[in-house]
Amino acid sequence: MDMAFVDHLMRWFHLIFALVWVGHNYASFVQHPRYKPFNEETSEQARTAALEVRMQREHGTFRYASIVVWCSGMGMLWYRGWLADALTLNGAHAVIGMGAWIGTLMMLNLWLIMWPHQKKVLGFEPAPLEERVRCSRITFLASRTNTILSIPLLFFMAAGGHGLQLFM
Amino acid sequence: MKLPHDSMQGTLLAGTALTLVLYLVVRTLV
Repeated sequence: MDMAFVDHLMRWFHLIFALVWVGHNYASFVQHPRYKPFNEETSEQARTAALEVRMQREHGTFRYASIVVWCSGMGMLWYRGWLADALTLNGAHAVIGMGAWIGTLMMLNLWLIMWPHQKKVLGFEPAPLEERVRCSRITFLASRTNTILSIPLLFFMAAGGHGLQLFM
Repeated sequence: MKLPHDSMQGTLLAGTALTLVLYLVVRTLV
């Protein structure tokens, strides 16, 4: 298998898994436009074993999708020999480099801020009610931060491939 | 404290404003 084919596979995976990840974020954004604190009564009433399995699968899917997106993105930059210039925002590679940095922030936000708090909100990890309410606010802000960050990210990703004249 | 995240419009506006600011930053680097 030649590297050009691997590069194409990475691009394909990058798009598919980005849709899985960010699509999930957008669905949450549309479903919950405003913050509502965690409500034990309604949340625990609706909770069933089947729902728990579904939530685990859903959250695992987009969390691991983010890793595929990040690795394939970095892989494509490496294959082209652009990685160092992109990450140091050097010259024309600063455009895709800004996208790469925003994407990296989004992935770190998801894994290091959102997920540890979300586990408690969803009851995957036991926590007292007060803590779950506090975590629901942090989770909401972290999730919407990723929504906000995805807007410039997509701008730079598209511009890196098709709109470099915008920067000249 | 109310943050842009607290409304749909605020989220979209923050994303658009951030895009514009970062665009101007990156333009100086290219």
